[in-house]
Amino acid sequence: MSKVIVVTSGKGGVGKTTTSASISTALAQKGKKVAVIDFDVGLRNLDLIMGVERRVVYDFVNVVQGEATLKQALIKDKRVEGLYILAASQTRDKDALTQEGVERVINELKEDGFDFIVCDSPAGIEKGAQLALYFADEAIVVTNPEVSSVRDSDRILGILQAKSRKAEEGGAVEEHLVLTRYNPSRVNAGEMLSKDDVVDLLSIKLLGVVPESQDVLNASNSGEPVVLAQDTDAAQAYLDIVERFLGGEVDHRFLEEEKKGLFKKLFGK
Amino acid sequence: MSEQVIELKGSVLSLTVLHIYSADINETKASLAKKIEQAPSFFVGIPIIIEPKIELSDPTFLALLVEYLHQLQMIPIGLRSKDPVIQEQATYTGLAIFPEDTRRPTNEGSDEKPRAAIQEKQPEQPAEPNYAPVVMDEPGLKSALVIERAIRSGQQIYAKDRDLIVLGSVNPGAEIIADGNITVFGKLQGKAIAGTAGCMNAKIFAKQMNPELVCIAGIYQLADDIDEQYKNNGLVEIRLKDEQLIMSAM
Ligand SMILES: Nc1ncnc2c1ncn2[C@@H]1O[C@H](COP(=O)(O)OP(=O)(O)OP(=O)(O)O)[C@@H](O)[C@H]1O
Ligand SMILES: [Mg+2]
Repeated sequence: MSKVIVVTSGKGGVGKTTTSASISTALAQKGKKVAVIDFDVGLRNLDLIMGVERRVVYDFVNVVQGEATLKQALIKDKRVEGLYILAASQTRDKDALTQEGVERVINELKEDGFDFIVCDSPAGIEKGAQLALYFADEAIVVTNPEVSSVRDSDRILGILQAKSRKAEEGGAVEEHLVLTRYNPSRVNAGEMLSKDDVVDLLSIKLLGVVPESQDVLNASNSGEPVVLAQDTDAAQAYLDIVERFLGGEVDHRFLEEEKKGLFKKLFGK
Repeated sequence: MSEQVIELKGSVLSLTVLHIYSADINETKASLAKKIEQAPSFFVGIPIIIEPKIELSDPTFLALLVEYLHQLQMIPIGLRSKDPVIQEQATYTGLAIFPEDTRRPTNEGSDEKPRAAIQEKQPEQPAEPNYAPVVMDEPGLKSALVIERAIRSGQQIYAKDRDLIVLGSVNPGAEIIADGNITVFGKLQGKAIAGTAGCMNAKIFAKQMNPELVCIAGIYQLADDIDEQYKNNGLVEIRLKDEQLIMSAM
């Protein structure tokens, strides 16, 4: 059975695309067949982070508009088996996506036997974001530990409860929280909200915490989802997240300030 | 023993009637959802009479519809139909059966052109002929509207003519409104407005609060005006006295 996952946040720049790329990649590494779709029409971002921007011939809008087949537009990842990317268009405007068109694409992906269809939502709570979440079975809500981000996530959760197809049919989208760009020392200094503050306010299940890390920027500059940089904390965090998403039990990590070792203590950093 | 304990009185009430034009439950639900979306808070807690305009062969239709209306926080109370099969379904579902509308003016039917699967009559237009006046016993007690989940930023809940009880939290940016009292068992961090219809006796209770605004019968206080000792500090009662909001820790 295919599952449609929306990665959404309300607020922009919190790490949706980073999260979509890493989660999709890790799911494929686990042997799942995964399609990741960039709903951020006009901005095109996912293809950069996935390192496929030079391989885009047809994009999501072309398929929605019937100008290309799904087969022509799906870009097969060269590193991980079973991973496919559907890029957004840079040249079209947001209204190029229609609900019927999106539904047709998602249905076709389901028929093609994809296990997971990951929808990377644009920021905001307007039409584009609503379209990205409309067909979702599950939602990964990406939040940063700061008030405005949490507030927007709360807002998008309300929209998931009211405007998704699941909700309209009387059901509910399953909600997961990913708290990212978490910096324990700034939390301890009172400059950021703590994990508990955020979970308390949003009252949804915490899927995982991703630490603030330079490795994320390095990875995206080299066109590689950070989850492939195996030995970094951020990669480990995303691997844990996918493990939990698939039902595994893994303790939460990256919540405490890193203790400096004796060597670092003696010689500074 | 002259003290009166109960009294049954006939009374004419205006109720919203939901006309059903499709026997397909999914189509009906989708159409309802669309309608509600236009004014979500308006429909919360309103009593509904269901009036099928077509034959319903699916024996579960009515039960599913009632269930869905409850999910949308409306309160289906009765059915209006002559069809004995549907009447039987209604009895199982616990709906009262109302007689077919005999009071309709004779010009009825002339403009009845169902476009969607559902048409419902807006109570804003009391002159509407289809807006069924029914005679029923005055309900002595209107129970509170109970919301079991968190109310999130951007959401609004309105308990018309009654109390509101929220078991979850009222998050910043959310708004809860009641004509009666308000009780919040989670954290109250949004806006709470009680006694909207002018009831000066209405009260607000919150187990833990740091609200953006509290208001009773039009008298309000903003976050900054609220004494710090009541914020995030256990159960607080808010009431109105001499046109002033009085808070007390309990
Ligand atoms: N854990 C992290 N540590 C440090 N930087 C991060 C982390 N996660 C994301 N970033 C950085 O934050 C920026 C925004 O990330 P990303 O593009 O994934 O966000 P987004 O939510 O998709 O943004 P938009 O709303 O514009 O689509 C990028 O520069 C990214 O490298
Ligand atoms: Mg993005």
